[in-house]
Amino acid sequence: MSNKPAGQLAATDTAMLLDDPQEWSAFGRPHGRAAADMPPTQTAWESHVVLEGMHCTACALTIEDALRQVPGVSDVDVSAATRRARVVWNPAQVLPSQWMEAVRKAGYRSIPAMDALAREERRRENRRALWRWLVAGFCMMQVMMYAWPAYQAMPGDLTFEMEQLLRWASWVISLPVVLFACGPFFSSALRDLRQRTVSMDLPVALGMLITFVVSMLGTFDPTGPFGREVYYDSLTMFVFFLLTGRWLELRLRDRTAGALEAVMNRLPDSVLRRTAAGDFERVATRRLKLGDVLRVLPGEAFPADGRILNGSTQADEALLTGESTPVAKQSASPVTAGSYNLSAAVEVVVEALGAQTRFGQIVTLMESASLQKPRLAQLADRVARPFLVGVLLAAALAAAWWWPTDPSHALMVAVAVLVVTCPCALSLATPVAMLTAAGTLARSGVLVRNLQALEALAAVDTVVFDKTGTLTRDRLAVTGTQLGPDAGLTAMQALALAARLAQHSLHPVARAVVAAAEVLPPHDDSWLVGAVEELPGAGLQALGSRNGQQGEAILRLGSVAHARVAPAEGAPQQVVLSAEREGRVTELARFDLSEELRPEAPAVVQQLRDAGIAVELLSGDHGLAVQRVAQRTGIDAAQGACTPQDKLQHLQALQAQGHLVAMVGDGLNDGPVLAGAHASLAFGKSVALAQSRSDIVVLGDNLALVAQTLLLARRTMHIVRQNLWWAAGYNAVGVPLAIAGYMPAWLAGLGMALSSLLVVLNAARLARTAGGDAPANAHAPFSAHGPVGVV
Amino acid sequence: MDILYLLIPLSVVLVLFVLAGLWWAVYRGQFENVEQEGERILRGD
Repeated sequence: MSNKPAGQLAATDTAMLLDDPQEWSAFGRPHGRAAADMPPTQTAWESHVVLEGMHCTACALTIEDALRQVPGVSDVDVSAATRRARVVWNPAQVLPSQWMEAVRKAGYRSIPAMDALAREERRRENRRALWRWLVAGFCMMQVMMYAWPAYQAMPGDLTFEMEQLLRWASWVISLPVVLFACGPFFSSALRDLRQRTVSMDLPVALGMLITFVVSMLGTFDPTGPFGREVYYDSLTMFVFFLLTGRWLELRLRDRTAGALEAVMNRLPDSVLRRTAAGDFERVATRRLKLGDVLRVLPGEAFPADGRILNGSTQADEALLTGESTPVAKQSASPVTAGSYNLSAAVEVVVEALGAQTRFGQIVTLMESASLQKPRLAQLADRVARPFLVGVLLAAALAAAWWWPTDPSHALMVAVAVLVVTCPCALSLATPVAMLTAAGTLARSGVLVRNLQALEALAAVDTVVFDKTGTLTRDRLAVTGTQLGPDAGLTAMQALALAARLAQHSLHPVARAVVAAAEVLPPHDDSWLVGAVEELPGAGLQALGSRNGQQGEAILRLGSVAHARVAPAEGAPQQVVLSAEREGRVTELARFDLSEELRPEAPAVVQQLRDAGIAVELLSGDHGLAVQRVAQRTGIDAAQGACTPQDKLQHLQALQAQGHLVAMVGDGLNDGPVLAGAHASLAFGKSVALAQSRSDIVVLGDNLALVAQTLLLARRTMHIVRQNLWWAAGYNAVGVPLAIAGYMPAWLAGLGMALSSLLVVLNAARLARTAGGDAPANAHAPFSAHGPVGVV
Repeated sequence: MDILYLLIPLSVVLVLFVLAGLWWAVYRGQFENVEQEGERILRGD
């Protein structure tokens, strides 16, 4: 430890700081059950790190292997698409600095995923990538100019000295390309050699090296065995194409799969906190405590859950509710972490922080999802390594075949084979599409907890709504009025009269009556109502008199018993209005009540049917209400009065018939049913994120999101299949062409760059979808941490 | 045509100068936040 070079020492020191248990919660959390109430050193930890120097999926495998070999590390997930790793480790056996050292030895850098740090690192990496790309591009243009005379000149036009001079100049200009711009290819190839593994940079680096050496020999030893041909133009060109592909791919990935990350990294790094003296100072968000008073400026995100003390503003809560209209916030309104303050500075008192906030729960869900490897991606990873070995063999064989004819040409054929193959497209095909879809959904308020679920959801042919509550709002509505036999007033008057009693109560039934009366046209209302009182659990009672009639009557609105009338047989939920005059009770009207249907429900059911999906409704409510909801939404197969066991049996029966079923529930007490389905969606404003076991959580209050999610899942799988076919087809055509010698090295470079670019571009189509990603962005155009969506 | 023997080495030197200029631009952050300048008009401060 003591005799390390200075630079390394500094890096290790930073890592040692992370060994302090106090720091662990900054980039991870205790792992496993009951971990929260044990001391930090007694329990396993799950930490997240950002990885630097990763280029493709093969790198992810290398890092995973390196970490798994560290004793004390029990589980590792590395995501190539987000360049993050999740490490589960046991403080009794290993400390963060030690497993980070293992990553460093494998040739990568790991940075704890504290986001300010990661963002700085990413900027530096971006600059270096851009700089490499510019060097390659500019040098390529210049080398082309020096190469041009040799292509144009007739024999004898160019003197030998002039040709040598041009070659020298090309060589000088190629040097920065080979030594600097190709750096990432060479360093990762070296790393692979040291690890005795093969990854996608090895063939490419080998190709670059061979081309450069052959050209150099042609320049300095024109009489040697490789002839006097030079390929500086091919070399610089394919390096440039490869770097262009990498650069664009990086940007696109940041934009699309990065949309997930943009959502996760929404909290500001620092915030204005009121000091004891009463003025405001800027402190790191991590240092906040409960009860702190913060000033949140317009355009900033709220850093914690809290309540407004001073001021009023509007907040964009699209992430948390899926609702894109800004919500007005006055003094004492609650605000949620991760939502944006849109219009004015407000002072907020902190009530919940970090993982306790709803935002914290959302982030936990999304982080675990973005690290998963979908089944198809795992398959591609398994294929990638043997494929690369095959490529190396094919290149060697092609070179051996052409060698007797022309050694120089033989080497260039081998180079073309090495450069043209693109396992990257193959291994990017699935994860990039799925992460893009998850990012798009996240922006409209749908969280994918399990990427595999997108594949399952794309295949379903039956959607079962597990609760009446998923199709209705949780409030009641008056659906009909039946006048009593000798009421002596019109239905409209009866409703208006009932409303005048009901407006004194907050009971859901009373509010439904008031809401129904509010939309009545103006009419003759001749009642005087006074002395309204509410009898809790029964109904309302008042004294009323009608103009032009003698004596007051006791008006009652409520249950049948409260209104003192005879119960009706088999009637749905009703509320009764009656009048009692001199001991004689007259029934004035009965109002039918039912749960209010979501206005979008029939359209959503229709949309699902148009997509060829059967829709069913299973509910614990009594049969008649369920039938009515089913009728109004257009669902044929509805079953009421189901116990959870009934639902599970019905689900299993459907599955036994070969149907693939998605369940839509509220995610609360329908656990076994949701778990039994192929794909499950929890829907509703009140979904408890922490307990919910469903694959997909719809945060908003809009049923249309359910249909949109399903359709997007289908499109995602469609695009995954396209990507896989394209990647496989490209390699199947490109490699034989290169072996046959029909493919110059520069064309091979272009082909490879384009093929992985095409995969990412194709996936990027998923980012542009119907369903409100635009409004969320539009509100906070200047926010430094605004969503990175496709603008 | 003899002038080419001077001009070609000169062009190599020129390339190196241009690369130095690009390096400066990249590391001064000239290519980052390119939207920022346009947005500045709309900002209040």
